[in-house]
Amino acid sequence: MVLNGVVMVLMFCGLVFFTGGGIGILRFPDFYTRLHPAGKLDTLGSLLMMTSVAIFNLHEITLSNALTSLKIMLIVVFVFISSPTATHAIMDAGVRAGLRPWEKGMPRG
Amino acid sequence: MKRLALLIVILSGGLLLYATKDFPSWGDPNSPASTHVSPRYLEKSLEETAVPNVVTAVLADYRGYDTMFETTVIFCAGVACFMLLRKFEPEERDLYYRHIPTGLTLHIKGEKQIPSTSKEFEKIDAIWTPYDFIINTVSRFLVPFIQLFALYVIAHGHHSPGGGFQGGVILGASIIVLAVAFNLRTAVRRFGEKIDGIMSALGVFIYAGVGAFCAILGAEFLNYRALAKILPVGKVMARSHGILAVEIGVGIAVMAVMICIYNNVASEGKFDEGL
Repeated sequence: MVLNGVVMVLMFCGLVFFTGGGIGILRFPDFYTRLHPAGKLDTLGSLLMMTSVAIFNLHEITLSNALTSLKIMLIVVFVFISSPTATHAIMDAGVRAGLRPWEKGMPRG
Repeated sequence: MKRLALLIVILSGGLLLYATKDFPSWGDPNSPASTHVSPRYLEKSLEETAVPNVVTAVLADYRGYDTMFETTVIFCAGVACFMLLRKFEPEERDLYYRHIPTGLTLHIKGEKQIPSTSKEFEKIDAIWTPYDFIINTVSRFLVPFIQLFALYVIAHGHHSPGGGFQGGVILGASIIVLAVAFNLRTAVRRFGEKIDGIMSALGVFIYAGVGAFCAILGAEFLNYRALAKILPVGKVMARSHGILAVEIGVGIAVMAVMICIYNNVASEGKFDEGL
Protein backbone atom coordinates (compact mmCIF):
# COMPACT_ATOMS: atom_id res chain seq x y z
CA MET A 1 0.00 0.00 0.00
CA VAL A 2 2.77 2.40 0.99
CA LEU A 3 4.79 1.02 -1.90
CA ASN A 4 1.98 1.76 -4.35
CA GLY A 5 1.77 5.31 -3.04
CA VAL A 6 5.50 5.82 -3.57
CA VAL A 7 5.24 4.38 -7.09
CA MET A 8 2.34 6.69 -7.94
CA VAL A 9 4.09 9.80 -6.63
CA LEU A 10 7.30 9.01 -8.52
CA MET A 11 5.42 8.19 -11.72
CA PHE A 12 3.44 11.43 -11.46
CA CYS A 13 6.60 13.49 -10.93
CA GLY A 14 8.19 11.79 -13.93
CA LEU A 15 5.15 12.61 -16.06
CA VAL A 16 5.31 16.26 -14.96
CA PHE A 17 8.93 16.48 -16.05
CA PHE A 18 8.25 14.77 -19.38
CA THR A 19 5.33 17.09 -20.05
CA GLY A 20 7.51 20.09 -19.24
CA GLY A 21 10.17 18.77 -21.60
CA GLY A 22 7.65 18.29 -24.39
CA ILE A 23 6.19 21.77 -23.99
CA GLY A 24 9.69 23.24 -23.76
CA ILE A 25 10.86 21.68 -27.00
CA LEU A 26 7.81 23.10 -28.77
CA ARG A 27 7.80 26.56 -27.19
CA PHE A 28 11.42 27.66 -26.73
CA PRO A 29 12.75 30.03 -29.40
CA ASP A 30 15.99 28.50 -30.71
CA PHE A 31 18.35 25.51 -30.94
CA TYR A 32 20.19 25.96 -27.64
CA THR A 33 17.15 26.68 -25.51
CA ARG A 34 15.28 23.75 -27.05
CA LEU A 35 18.09 21.37 -26.22
CA HIS A 36 17.84 22.46 -22.60
CA PRO A 37 14.46 20.77 -21.91
CA ALA A 38 15.33 17.91 -24.25
CA GLY A 39 18.48 17.09 -22.33
CA LYS A 40 17.66 17.87 -18.73
CA LEU A 41 13.98 17.14 -18.25
CA ASP A 42 14.08 13.88 -20.20
CA THR A 43 16.92 12.64 -18.04
CA LEU A 44 15.20 13.49 -14.78
CA GLY A 45 11.83 12.28 -16.07
CA SER A 46 13.22 8.91 -17.10
CA LEU A 47 15.09 8.65 -13.79
CA LEU A 48 11.85 9.06 -11.83
CA MET A 49 9.78 6.84 -14.13
CA MET A 50 12.32 4.03 -14.18
CA THR A 51 12.73 4.16 -10.41
CA SER A 52 9.00 3.89 -9.97
CA VAL A 53 8.84 0.93 -12.36
CA ALA A 54 11.71 -0.75 -10.51
CA ILE A 55 9.93 -0.29 -7.18
CA PHE A 56 6.62 -1.50 -8.60
CA ASN A 57 8.38 -4.62 -9.83
CA LEU A 58 9.34 -5.44 -6.22
CA HIS A 59 5.76 -5.97 -5.00
CA GLU A 60 6.81 -9.50 -4.06
CA ILE A 61 10.49 -9.78 -3.36
CA THR A 62 12.06 -12.74 -5.15
CA LEU A 63 15.51 -13.12 -6.65
CA SER A 64 14.33 -12.82 -10.26
CA ASN A 65 12.26 -9.71 -9.49
CA ALA A 66 15.19 -8.13 -7.71
CA LEU A 67 17.41 -8.88 -10.70
CA THR A 68 14.93 -7.25 -13.08
CA SER A 69 14.77 -4.17 -10.84
CA LEU A 70 18.56 -4.05 -10.77
CA LYS A 71 18.63 -4.08 -14.58
CA ILE A 72 16.11 -1.24 -14.70
CA MET A 73 18.24 0.77 -12.28
CA LEU A 74 21.28 0.10 -14.48
CA ILE A 75 19.40 1.64 -17.42
CA VAL A 76 18.86 4.71 -15.22
CA VAL A 77 22.58 4.93 -14.43
CA PHE A 78 23.62 4.78 -18.07
CA VAL A 79 20.93 7.19 -19.26
CA PHE A 80 22.04 9.53 -16.50
CA ILE A 81 25.61 9.45 -17.81
CA SER A 82 25.07 9.39 -21.55
CA SER A 83 22.09 11.68 -22.12
CA PRO A 84 23.67 14.88 -20.70
CA THR A 85 26.89 14.04 -22.55
CA ALA A 86 25.03 13.73 -25.83
CA THR A 87 23.29 17.07 -25.20
CA HIS A 88 26.64 18.63 -24.37
CA ALA A 89 28.15 17.28 -27.61
CA ILE A 90 25.29 18.67 -29.71
CA MET A 91 25.56 22.08 -27.99
CA ASP A 92 29.31 22.07 -28.54
CA ALA A 93 28.86 21.29 -32.23
CA GLY A 94 26.37 24.16 -32.51
CA VAL A 95 28.83 26.62 -30.94
CA ARG A 96 31.69 25.46 -33.16
CA ALA A 97 29.54 25.69 -36.28
CA GLY A 98 28.96 29.35 -35.39
CA LEU A 99 25.28 29.30 -34.55
CA ARG A 100 24.39 32.43 -32.60
CA PRO A 101 22.17 32.17 -29.56
CA TRP A 102 18.77 33.78 -29.75
CA GLU A 103 18.30 37.24 -28.32
CA LYS A 104 15.20 39.21 -27.61
CA GLY A 105 13.75 40.70 -30.76
CA MET A 106 15.26 38.17 -33.15
CA PRO A 107 12.93 35.89 -35.16
CA ARG A 108 12.28 32.53 -33.55
CA GLY A 109 14.31 29.86 -35.38
CA MET B 1 9.84 13.84 -69.49
CA LYS B 2 9.05 14.91 -65.95
CA ARG B 3 5.34 14.68 -66.63
CA LEU B 4 5.75 11.20 -68.10
CA ALA B 5 7.65 10.09 -65.01
CA LEU B 6 4.98 11.57 -62.75
CA LEU B 7 2.28 9.80 -64.76
CA ILE B 8 4.08 6.47 -64.43
CA VAL B 9 4.56 6.97 -60.70
CA ILE B 10 0.89 7.84 -60.18
CA LEU B 11 -0.27 4.91 -62.31
CA SER B 12 1.91 2.33 -60.59
CA GLY B 13 1.07 3.80 -57.19
CA GLY B 14 -2.62 3.59 -57.99
CA LEU B 15 -2.19 0.02 -59.14
CA LEU B 16 -0.48 -0.89 -55.86
CA LEU B 17 -3.22 0.81 -53.85
CA TYR B 18 -5.83 -1.04 -55.91
CA ALA B 19 -4.10 -4.33 -55.20
CA THR B 20 -4.06 -3.75 -51.43
CA LYS B 21 -7.83 -4.28 -51.47
CA ASP B 22 -7.24 -8.00 -52.00
CA PHE B 23 -5.02 -8.32 -48.93
CA PRO B 24 -6.39 -10.25 -45.97
CA SER B 25 -7.51 -7.85 -43.27
CA TRP B 26 -5.18 -6.90 -40.44
CA GLY B 27 -4.62 -9.75 -37.98
CA ASP B 28 -6.99 -12.11 -39.80
CA PRO B 29 -6.50 -15.63 -38.33
CA ASN B 30 -7.59 -17.22 -41.62
CA SER B 31 -5.04 -15.40 -43.77
CA PRO B 32 -2.56 -17.62 -45.64
CA ALA B 33 0.36 -16.29 -43.59
CA SER B 34 -1.07 -17.53 -40.29
CA THR B 35 -2.62 -20.84 -41.37
CA HIS B 36 0.24 -22.89 -42.85
CA VAL B 37 3.56 -22.80 -41.01
CA SER B 38 3.24 -20.20 -38.27
CA PRO B 39 0.99 -22.30 -35.97
CA ARG B 40 3.49 -25.12 -36.24
CA TYR B 41 6.40 -22.82 -35.36
CA LEU B 42 4.49 -21.39 -32.42
CA GLU B 43 3.49 -24.80 -31.08
CA LYS B 44 6.53 -26.91 -31.83
CA SER B 45 9.58 -24.65 -31.76
CA LEU B 46 10.20 -24.98 -28.03
CA GLU B 47 10.13 -28.77 -27.99
CA GLU B 48 12.06 -29.09 -31.24
CA THR B 49 14.84 -26.57 -30.63
CA ALA B 50 14.75 -25.77 -26.88
CA VAL B 51 14.74 -22.04 -27.72
CA PRO B 52 12.03 -20.06 -25.91
CA ASN B 53 12.28 -17.13 -28.34
CA VAL B 54 10.35 -18.23 -31.44
CA VAL B 55 11.85 -15.47 -33.56
CA THR B 56 15.38 -16.74 -32.98
CA ALA B 57 14.33 -20.33 -33.64
CA VAL B 58 12.72 -19.41 -36.96
CA LEU B 59 15.50 -17.04 -38.00
CA ALA B 60 18.53 -19.21 -37.31
CA ASP B 61 17.15 -22.72 -37.52
CA TYR B 62 14.01 -23.17 -39.62
CA ARG B 63 15.06 -20.44 -42.03
CA GLY B 64 18.79 -20.89 -41.66
CA TYR B 65 19.53 -20.58 -45.38
CA ASP B 66 17.79 -17.23 -45.55
CA THR B 67 19.81 -15.83 -42.65
CA MET B 68 23.05 -17.23 -44.04
CA PHE B 69 22.59 -15.31 -47.26
CA GLU B 70 21.48 -12.25 -45.33
CA THR B 71 24.86 -12.36 -43.61
CA THR B 72 26.47 -12.77 -47.00
CA VAL B 73 24.59 -9.72 -48.27
CA ILE B 74 25.98 -7.68 -45.37
CA PHE B 75 29.47 -8.97 -46.14
CA CYS B 76 29.00 -8.01 -49.80
CA ALA B 77 27.93 -4.50 -48.73
CA GLY B 78 31.16 -4.15 -46.78
CA VAL B 79 33.24 -5.43 -49.69
CA ALA B 80 31.45 -3.10 -52.13
CA CYS B 81 32.08 -0.11 -49.87
CA PHE B 82 35.74 -1.05 -49.62
CA MET B 83 36.15 -1.54 -53.39
CA LEU B 84 34.39 1.70 -54.30
CA LEU B 85 35.90 4.05 -51.75
CA ARG B 86 39.26 2.81 -50.54
CA LYS B 87 42.25 4.72 -51.96
CA PHE B 88 45.77 3.45 -51.46
CA GLU B 89 47.93 6.00 -53.30
CA PRO B 90 48.89 8.74 -50.86
CA GLU B 91 47.74 12.06 -52.26
CA GLU B 92 49.92 15.09 -52.01
CA ARG B 93 48.32 17.11 -49.31
CA ASP B 94 48.82 19.34 -46.35
CA LEU B 95 49.64 17.76 -43.03
CA TYR B 96 49.08 19.32 -39.65
CA TYR B 97 51.01 18.50 -36.51
CA ARG B 98 50.86 19.83 -33.00
CA HIS B 99 53.96 20.28 -30.92
CA ILE B 100 52.80 18.77 -27.67
CA PRO B 101 54.97 20.72 -25.14
CA THR B 102 54.19 24.15 -26.56
CA GLY B 103 50.88 23.61 -28.30
CA LEU B 104 52.12 25.15 -31.57
CA THR B 105 50.57 23.91 -34.78
CA LEU B 106 52.85 22.91 -37.64
CA HIS B 107 51.70 22.92 -41.25
CA ILE B 108 53.75 20.79 -43.63
CA LYS B 109 53.26 20.82 -47.40
CA GLY B 110 54.46 18.23 -49.87
CA GLU B 111 55.76 14.75 -49.27
CA LYS B 112 57.70 15.22 -46.05
CA GLN B 113 56.13 14.09 -42.83
CA ILE B 114 57.02 13.53 -39.22
CA PRO B 115 57.17 9.83 -38.26
CA SER B 116 54.11 8.72 -36.35
CA THR B 117 56.31 7.39 -33.52
CA SER B 118 57.41 10.90 -32.60
CA LYS B 119 56.82 11.76 -28.96
CA GLU B 120 56.88 15.54 -29.40
CA PHE B 121 54.60 15.88 -32.39
CA GLU B 122 51.03 14.68 -32.68
CA LYS B 123 49.22 14.51 -36.00
CA ILE B 124 45.95 16.41 -36.05
CA ASP B 125 43.12 16.61 -38.55
CA ALA B 126 43.00 19.41 -41.09
CA ILE B 127 39.68 20.57 -39.70
CA TRP B 128 40.73 20.21 -36.12
CA THR B 129 38.41 20.78 -33.24
CA PRO B 130 39.91 20.46 -29.77
CA TYR B 131 38.87 17.25 -28.09
CA ASP B 132 36.22 17.81 -25.53
CA PHE B 133 37.21 16.52 -22.12
CA ILE B 134 33.70 15.52 -21.09
CA ILE B 135 32.91 13.63 -24.29
CA ASN B 136 36.27 11.85 -24.29
CA THR B 137 36.01 10.72 -20.69
CA VAL B 138 32.42 9.56 -20.93
CA SER B 139 32.91 7.67 -24.17
CA ARG B 140 36.03 5.97 -22.85
CA PHE B 141 34.09 5.00 -19.73
CA LEU B 142 31.08 3.73 -21.66
CA VAL B 143 32.80 1.66 -24.37
CA PRO B 144 33.43 -1.45 -22.22
CA PHE B 145 29.85 -1.40 -20.98
CA ILE B 146 28.54 -1.09 -24.53
CA GLN B 147 30.65 -4.08 -25.56
CA LEU B 148 29.51 -6.11 -22.57
CA PHE B 149 25.90 -5.32 -23.40
CA ALA B 150 26.51 -6.33 -27.02
CA LEU B 151 27.86 -9.71 -25.94
CA TYR B 152 24.82 -10.10 -23.67
CA VAL B 153 22.50 -9.33 -26.59
CA ILE B 154 24.22 -11.93 -28.78
CA ALA B 155 24.32 -14.62 -26.11
CA HIS B 156 20.86 -13.96 -24.72
CA GLY B 157 19.11 -14.02 -28.10
CA HIS B 158 17.66 -17.42 -27.22
CA HIS B 159 15.60 -16.02 -24.37
CA SER B 160 14.92 -12.37 -25.12
CA PRO B 161 14.80 -10.04 -28.11
CA GLY B 162 18.26 -9.86 -29.61
CA GLY B 163 20.70 -11.96 -31.52
CA GLY B 164 23.64 -11.70 -33.84
CA PHE B 165 22.52 -8.79 -35.98
CA GLN B 166 21.59 -6.50 -33.09
CA GLY B 167 24.57 -7.45 -30.96
CA GLY B 168 26.94 -7.02 -33.88
CA VAL B 169 25.65 -3.52 -34.58
CA ILE B 170 26.13 -2.57 -30.91
CA LEU B 171 29.68 -3.97 -30.96
CA GLY B 172 30.44 -1.98 -34.09
CA ALA B 173 28.94 1.14 -32.51
CA SER B 174 31.33 0.83 -29.55
CA ILE B 175 34.29 1.29 -31.91
CA ILE B 176 32.52 4.01 -33.92
CA VAL B 177 31.95 5.94 -30.67
CA LEU B 178 35.73 6.02 -30.26
CA ALA B 179 36.14 7.32 -33.80
CA VAL B 180 33.59 10.07 -33.20
CA ALA B 181 34.79 11.13 -29.75
CA PHE B 182 38.53 11.03 -30.50
CA ASN B 183 39.51 10.68 -34.14
CA LEU B 184 39.56 8.04 -36.82
CA ARG B 185 43.21 7.15 -36.26
CA THR B 186 42.51 6.20 -32.63
CA ALA B 187 39.73 3.87 -33.69
CA VAL B 188 41.78 2.31 -36.48
CA ARG B 189 44.69 1.80 -34.08
CA ARG B 190 42.37 -0.13 -31.74
CA PHE B 191 40.69 -2.13 -34.48
CA GLY B 192 42.88 -2.27 -37.57
CA GLU B 193 41.79 -2.48 -41.15
CA LYS B 194 43.35 -5.87 -41.82
CA ILE B 195 41.76 -7.50 -38.80
CA ASP B 196 38.47 -5.87 -39.77
CA GLY B 197 38.56 -7.42 -43.23
CA ILE B 198 39.51 -10.82 -41.85
CA MET B 199 36.74 -10.74 -39.24
CA SER B 200 34.01 -9.77 -41.70
CA ALA B 201 34.90 -12.83 -43.78
CA LEU B 202 35.37 -14.97 -40.67
CA GLY B 203 31.81 -14.31 -39.53
CA VAL B 204 30.33 -15.60 -42.78
CA PHE B 205 32.80 -18.48 -42.68
CA ILE B 206 31.65 -19.49 -39.19
CA TYR B 207 28.03 -19.54 -40.33
CA ALA B 208 28.65 -21.52 -43.50
CA GLY B 209 31.22 -23.65 -41.66
CA VAL B 210 28.72 -24.76 -39.04
CA GLY B 211 26.36 -25.70 -41.88
CA ALA B 212 29.05 -27.62 -43.73
CA PHE B 213 30.12 -29.30 -40.51
CA CYS B 214 26.59 -30.62 -40.06
CA ALA B 215 26.77 -31.98 -43.61
CA ILE B 216 30.11 -33.68 -42.83
CA LEU B 217 28.55 -35.28 -39.74
CA GLY B 218 25.93 -36.89 -41.94
CA ALA B 219 22.87 -34.65 -41.81
CA GLU B 220 21.63 -31.98 -44.21
CA PHE B 221 23.39 -28.65 -44.58
CA LEU B 222 22.60 -26.48 -41.52
CA ASN B 223 20.74 -29.29 -39.73
CA TYR B 224 22.15 -28.68 -36.26
CA ARG B 225 20.76 -31.99 -34.97
CA ALA B 226 23.94 -33.61 -36.30
CA LEU B 227 26.02 -31.64 -33.79
CA ALA B 228 24.72 -34.00 -31.06
CA LYS B 229 27.32 -36.49 -32.26
CA ILE B 230 30.20 -34.33 -31.02
CA LEU B 231 28.55 -32.27 -28.29
CA PRO B 232 27.66 -33.99 -25.02
CA VAL B 233 23.98 -33.01 -25.32
CA GLY B 234 20.80 -34.36 -26.82
CA LYS B 235 19.58 -33.63 -30.34
CA VAL B 236 17.24 -30.87 -29.21
CA MET B 237 19.88 -29.05 -27.19
CA ALA B 238 22.31 -29.47 -30.10
CA ARG B 239 19.98 -27.36 -32.23
CA SER B 240 20.01 -24.68 -29.55
CA HIS B 241 23.82 -24.68 -29.43
CA GLY B 242 24.01 -24.64 -33.23
CA ILE B 243 21.87 -21.49 -33.22
CA LEU B 244 24.27 -19.87 -30.75
CA ALA B 245 27.31 -20.70 -32.92
CA VAL B 246 25.59 -19.25 -35.96
CA GLU B 247 24.59 -16.09 -34.07
CA ILE B 248 28.22 -15.57 -33.03
CA GLY B 249 29.23 -15.74 -36.69
CA VAL B 250 26.54 -13.22 -37.64
CA GLY B 251 27.64 -10.92 -34.80
CA ILE B 252 31.29 -10.93 -35.90
CA ALA B 253 30.41 -10.28 -39.55
CA VAL B 254 27.98 -7.45 -38.79
CA MET B 255 30.41 -5.76 -36.38
CA ALA B 256 33.31 -5.83 -38.84
CA VAL B 257 31.19 -4.62 -41.76
CA MET B 258 29.72 -1.74 -39.72
CA ILE B 259 33.20 -0.52 -38.80
CA CYS B 260 34.47 -1.00 -42.37
CA ILE B 261 31.61 1.03 -43.85
CA TYR B 262 31.98 3.79 -41.26
CA ASN B 263 35.75 4.11 -41.75
CA ASN B 264 35.52 4.16 -45.51
CA VAL B 265 32.67 6.64 -45.73
CA ALA B 266 33.92 8.98 -42.99
CA SER B 267 37.44 9.30 -44.40
CA GLU B 268 36.53 9.03 -48.11
CA GLY B 269 38.63 5.88 -48.30
CA LYS B 270 41.87 7.42 -47.05
CA PHE B 271 41.65 6.11 -43.48
CA ASP B 272 43.54 9.03 -42.00
CA GLU B 273 41.01 11.55 -40.83
CA GLY B 274 37.35 12.31 -40.97
CA LEU B 275 34.51 13.19 -38.66
